[in-house]
Amino acid sequence: MIDSVTWKIGGEAGFGIMSSGIMLSRAFARMGYHTFATNEYPSLIRGGHNVITVRIAKDKFESMNRDIHVLVALNKQTIEVHKNELNEGAVVVFDPKDGEYKPEDFPKPVKLLPIPLRDLVAKGMGDPIMRNTVALGVTVALLGAPFEALSSVISDQFKKKGEEVVKHNVDIAKLGYDQVKEDSMFLAKTAKKEDQLVINASEAIGVGAARAGLKFAAIYPMTPINSLITFLADHAKSLNLVYKQPEDEIAGINMAIGASVGGVRSMVATSGGGFALMVEGLAWGGMIEAPLVIDLGMRVGPSTGMPTYTEQGELQFVIHAGHGEFPRIVLAPADVEEAYQLTVDAFNLADRYQVPVFLLTDKYLNESTWCAPKSVFAGDVVIDRGKLVKEQDLPADGSFKRYDLSGPDGVSPRSVPGMKNGFHYANSYEHDEVGHTTEAADKRIAMAAKRLKKFEAIKKDMMVPQVYGDAEAEITFITWGSTRGPVLDAMKLLNKKSRLIHYSWIYPFPAEETMKLLSPATRLIDVEQNATGQLAALIREHTGILIKEKILKYDGRPFFPEEIVEKL
Amino acid sequence: MTVTTDTFKTNFLPTWCPGCGDFGIWMSLKNALAELNIGTDDGVVVYGVGCHGNMYDWMKIYGVAALHGRTLPVAQGLKFANHKLPVMVISGDGDGLGEGGNHFMHAAKRNPDIAVFIHDNQVYGLTTGQASPTAQQGFKTKSTPEGVADEPINPLSLALTAGATFVARGFAGDTPGLTAIMKAAIEHKGFAVVDILQPCVTFDKVHTYAWYRQRLYKIEAEYKPDNKLKAIEKAMEWGDKIPVGVLYKEERPTSEDREAALAGEPLKDLPLTIANLDELLHEFI
Repeated sequence: MIDSVTWKIGGEAGFGIMSSGIMLSRAFARMGYHTFATNEYPSLIRGGHNVITVRIAKDKFESMNRDIHVLVALNKQTIEVHKNELNEGAVVVFDPKDGEYKPEDFPKPVKLLPIPLRDLVAKGMGDPIMRNTVALGVTVALLGAPFEALSSVISDQFKKKGEEVVKHNVDIAKLGYDQVKEDSMFLAKTAKKEDQLVINASEAIGVGAARAGLKFAAIYPMTPINSLITFLADHAKSLNLVYKQPEDEIAGINMAIGASVGGVRSMVATSGGGFALMVEGLAWGGMIEAPLVIDLGMRVGPSTGMPTYTEQGELQFVIHAGHGEFPRIVLAPADVEEAYQLTVDAFNLADRYQVPVFLLTDKYLNESTWCAPKSVFAGDVVIDRGKLVKEQDLPADGSFKRYDLSGPDGVSPRSVPGMKNGFHYANSYEHDEVGHTTEAADKRIAMAAKRLKKFEAIKKDMMVPQVYGDAEAEITFITWGSTRGPVLDAMKLLNKKSRLIHYSWIYPFPAEETMKLLSPATRLIDVEQNATGQLAALIREHTGILIKEKILKYDGRPFFPEEIVEKL
Repeated sequence: MTVTTDTFKTNFLPTWCPGCGDFGIWMSLKNALAELNIGTDDGVVVYGVGCHGNMYDWMKIYGVAALHGRTLPVAQGLKFANHKLPVMVISGDGDGLGEGGNHFMHAAKRNPDIAVFIHDNQVYGLTTGQASPTAQQGFKTKSTPEGVADEPINPLSLALTAGATFVARGFAGDTPGLTAIMKAAIEHKGFAVVDILQPCVTFDKVHTYAWYRQRLYKIEAEYKPDNKLKAIEKAMEWGDKIPVGVLYKEERPTSEDREAALAGEPLKDLPLTIANLDELLHEFI
């Protein structure tokens, strides 16, 4: 009986590796377990080595752990590549046709479970590609779960393809399930408390955006945000929105800003390279004070980098992107629940302050399949459109000023083209209160100062850093975005008191709170998924606090809690 | 309220050079809008950056001064937000075909209901006279002292092959003729491109009003603008005889027609709360 199991399946791309991981997560999430699946794959469509790792546990956890308890090898390469990751006592499921393995072939003692995957598929009259389905049957039996847990997921997965396809897949899974008689690695039982969603951060952002009233998105395809495109395109009709694939990211951001000026909530999503193309449009949006939400899913850079691997390399980029000076907000969700909630917040903040708001995500968040209570995503949310005026409230004498300077917070009332008496220009040039071009020194100063006043105003909505752990701790970790999970799990493994200061709200930077939280700490350790410590630099810039100790990782693979403990 | 050309008056006076072709285009646009009864609050014009783009300051209608080259994506975004609002684009040859060339091709293939007016004078006036993408071979400018080496872009044949559904050429020196073309372009349901030949009186001493008047001719009354190959042929005519008028027109579903969400009220007026969203969450269980 174990409380947590980490399962890994590997094989060639195109062999259903990813979907088998998601189906396994779903099967156990439905029973009340906490699940998490993360993938690793090269930037190819077919061929190449693909793996997905799924962690399933009785209790909630925050990250993927390093040691593997079950390895399912759909080919020989999987064993060669991953045998060093196996825990003592791990089960290795393989097809004897891939080789005659002996326990001494592995660095730690393992249990070998040869299963004739190919023969079973043939027996079930299936395509060789269905080996993953047999393997799922084997896995579910191994973990001591009833077959129905898997068959219900298979039914839902294939129901669009008809009864016959469902039955075929269920039968093939059963062949695998029946292979396991004993030696099982039973998972401790748990009870289902509530419905859980098995969802990635891109999808969570899609749900959040729809919840917040998104009406237009222009997104050029790019890893790792493609499942947001799929979500929006698939549901455009039922969600009453328009998703448009633009010719490039330059068009994308300009379309989205055009739609925003036109009065609808709009967004773009991209990765670093695509955002590089959007930078010009970002500055335009800053100048005309258009609300906009930008989801930037970071991956390994610079340049094309390692497109399917994760990194947190764009924090300083988004803070400084754009020519000229203008306010912006940067939020960085740590998991799918925050991805959803911060997306709703992002749309409200964008409207309230008429600024671009970033959701800074990464490949690990966007392409890992998380598990979270459905209740987090359910129910209507508060929608605040800020100073968007109603047509009937516009003065009939034509005195409306879109860029009115009198507001204390720098935010002016906003009309929309087509509204009677709301005439204005959204002007790329420096402008006066109606939007007419100006180059007069006093008017320029007034308008630039108005825009920058928002930096102060935004502070009243600023979310303070999250604090976890022991106030008396000798170690204080500092994280932002997706590194929170691995550090929280590392803290559970540590044999000394520790504390975490985590930033989901990054910019405008909460300097005062940071001074209070960090000054008395003894040992500060910055943990970031980049090579230079970009948050540490931001803290230094805004507070003067120098964080000397850093745990930085930039090989494209997410942090494991175990390696954080080892690095201390 | 009746819309007249005075409706669009602001407190700003044009800063264009005396005699600039932009005046004729500006006048024709005001005429066309007045004839269509589109007033200050009834439409939106997106302007690029260049001499043409400065027009917004003396044009009282909702205006968006975009970045150089980015008019068309902005205009498409506006049109999606409110597909019932007339959206027009004032662009230049450098703006629309140089910096914005990719946007031009893709807008044409999507066929949004937008009218685009290209101020085509072969030079970059605002940066004091460099060659534009439409500059004819051999034309000497500040950036091409030995004469332009490259082939010019032909905005009309490009629009036709890319899929524009209304393609015409106008002349800034013929206000009544240009007014009629611009009016037809705004009325057309689909992507309408009007390339407007326009002398730059300061930086182009070759292509003057007189130069154009000697060569321009009105497309024959019997010409039917319903054949794309014939239209391309017409678009390629350049030299001693240059045709002016509507080259091509077809009805095709617009970009907005293809969006289910735009079947009724404009996006901007749709409710923000989605009733069936909780139901949709079941696909993630």
